[in-house]
Amino acid sequence: MGALSTWFSERIPIRPGELRELTNEPVPNHLKRWWFCLGGTPAYLFVVQIVTGILLAFYYQASSRTAWESVRYITEEAAYGWFLRGLHKWAATLMIASVVLHQMRVYFTGAYRKPRELNWIVGMGLLVLTLLTGFTGYSLVYEQLSYWGATVGANIADNVPVVGVLGKQLLLAGEVYNERTLSRFFLLHAAVLPCAMVALLAVHITLIRLQGVTELKDEREPERDEGFFRFFPEHFLSELTIGLVLMIVLAALATILPAAMGPRADPLVTPEVIKPEWFFYVAFRWLKLFSGTTAVLSMGLIVFTMVAWPFIDGLVRARRPKSEFSVYLGIVAVLGLLSLTIWEASVEH
Amino acid sequence: MYRPAEGAACSLANSMSSDADTPASARRDFLSKASTLLMAGGLVAGYGACGAMGARYLFPATRRERRWQFLARASDVRVGESITYRSPTGERVAVARRAEHDTAEDFVALSSTCPHLGCQVHWQGSEKRFFCPCHNGTFDPDGRATSGPPFEAGQSLSRYPLKLEDGVLFIQVPMEGLSGSADAGAGFSHDL
Repeated sequence: MGALSTWFSERIPIRPGELRELTNEPVPNHLKRWWFCLGGTPAYLFVVQIVTGILLAFYYQASSRTAWESVRYITEEAAYGWFLRGLHKWAATLMIASVVLHQMRVYFTGAYRKPRELNWIVGMGLLVLTLLTGFTGYSLVYEQLSYWGATVGANIADNVPVVGVLGKQLLLAGEVYNERTLSRFFLLHAAVLPCAMVALLAVHITLIRLQGVTELKDEREPERDEGFFRFFPEHFLSELTIGLVLMIVLAALATILPAAMGPRADPLVTPEVIKPEWFFYVAFRWLKLFSGTTAVLSMGLIVFTMVAWPFIDGLVRARRPKSEFSVYLGIVAVLGLLSLTIWEASVEH
Repeated sequence: MYRPAEGAACSLANSMSSDADTPASARRDFLSKASTLLMAGGLVAGYGACGAMGARYLFPATRRERRWQFLARASDVRVGESITYRSPTGERVAVARRAEHDTAEDFVALSSTCPHLGCQVHWQGSEKRFFCPCHNGTFDPDGRATSGPPFEAGQSLSRYPLKLEDGVLFIQVPMEGLSGSADAGAGFSHDL
């Protein structure tokens, strides 16, 4: 044993003390509550997505002639294919939900404020990448929703002034959905977007480690000496518990509500009732409320405001340090998000 | 092993500092900066060219080709009547005759692709309108938007170019796209 550890320590020259210091980030006490651990949840689900995604890619064939049939094969014939596809679908759903909840938590606790503005922007990048991965993911099944979702998505790009036409051509590999389109979606979904996410995640986690997790202080709570606990093993164990719970939840969802097969895409018929995945209900309803360019430009403005929010908030707080403006705006935004989603979910058109 | 004496090192340093303003050192300086600039320029240009080639590669090589196709004999379509034509990509095109001047302008060929975000509209006979199920756009029988996002943006269903030659009507349609199962060709329909 001694010889083996010497062999490794000669080849990996890092001392255990250094390793402990690097990994044992002090964790503020409020993270003992699970709802403050929502950042680790999407990271865990991302790993689930990579593993199940690689397994699904063994049988998936990214061409409009074969895609639907290959997904049907995975779902109906391959051993445990239905389960793996169910896991992939539900982990995507939970990942998007937890990313949104994580962002809300960061927003309402003001954790994006100086000096963590850049990490908020990196987080916004991760949110956009997660949504794009979700969008390209359901396009791959090549069922009716996949086809019309991709068409609508590409035409949304077309509505962006100046660069829109190029963006649409880049996405579809042509002016309309064609034989070369699906392989492009597959590559984006399985390689380009996940690689970009890994890169941004590395920056996100490095910045968290460098800045430390925001300390939450409640003025009503008595002052305690020990405001922190150890990352390892205490916080690691909480994350492990969350991982275990997620595994049970995912397995249950994949079994009780397995991923189904919709009708094969028909480029000639848009179904009478068509809805995107739930996380795009807001955008879908928004697109019904305004004309194309207005809707796209206003959505762009909202995303830009979200990205720049730490700086806008900084300007507001420089004038009025006690301002609760961001909280009220956040409540309005969340209520808007919820009501548009519920509205879209509750009506056919 | 050769080690320069301390004094020697000092004298070398002195000679270098005294050398600083000579034309030789200025030349060296210039050459060093110029070569750095040249290398940086080469790198940027080289990798930039590779990047530009990669970006161009991502755009499809061919544009969407459109061709003239036989549609019908003009005399087979009477004023007020409409026929449905299936393009080579399978798209349904409603072609209606509005007048009898024996010109292509007598006919209107409406695309079934919604000008808003590209979904397929369908005819709702009871409402006498085309309806887009994606974002609730509606169009009158002439293809003009009557409500929904296309109406707000002042969009209409696009019209395919038509030409009349020796009493035969031709339509210009795209040849690329994911085709449906139906064969191309015209068929009479009176439901519009």
